Amino acid sequence: MAVQDSTRSSSEGKSGDDGEDLSIFHAENLQNNMKSIYYSRTFLSIMGGVVAGIWGFTGLMGFVFYLLIMAIASLGLLAKAKFSVGNYFDSWNRIILDGFFGGLMSFVLFWTFAYDIVHIF
Amino acid sequence: MGVGFIAGVLGGLLFAHAAYSTIQYRGMLKIMEEEFSGPPTNVVIELLLGFVLCMVAGLAVPGKFHSILPDSEENRVVSLPSNLDFMIFNHRGRLSPFDPELKLKT
Repeated sequence: MAVQDSTRSSSEGKSGDDGEDLSIFHAENLQNNMKSIYYSRTFLSIMGGVVAGIWGFTGLMGFVFYLLIMAIASLGLLAKAKFSVGNYFDSWNRIILDGFFGGLMSFVLFWTFAYDIVHIF
Repeated sequence: MGVGFIAGVLGGLLFAHAAYSTIQYRGMLKIMEEEFSGPPTNVVIELLLGFVLCMVAGLAVPGKFHSILPDSEENRVVSLPSNLDFMIFNHRGRLSPFDPELKLKT
């Protein structure tokens, strides 16, 4: 436990007025948070794909549905971080954008899979 | 872990049932020779409920976020070990002869 603090890393200084104010944070904990975000997003996009397939969305409607799901997922992650992003992440993009395109692939895969099972076969 | 996992399993079961209902609904439409315009209401409700359950599962299962600030409460390392009996403040210097008058012979 005592060596845990030695893995601090300093990010690049924030652009703007506080140029020399380096922010120091736990890289290990940040990585843990990122991992759980990826986990949540991948799981939710798979489940969203199943919902879209059963519902019978086709074409652009499915992608709109995916956007909606990701927005809801972002809200959920924000609630999980108790609305204080700075406490758990180094930037807002971590919560809003990370895992978006990786999830899209899983979403399309499971969307077509569920659609085929329910509506075509 | 427990609650989230059970919620995820329940959501998956709801999806399976919704898929089954939709397949049956489509079979019925085929008999009545009508077009499919959307799933019936109970399937939609089931899907939404299942998605909410999966949302809970997806957010709860990966575990809590840890604070990344070095000076936050959970990252402090000032706590003592739980078993103080094993802390030793003794060393072998105590056994060696100590004489302030002792000098190296040259």
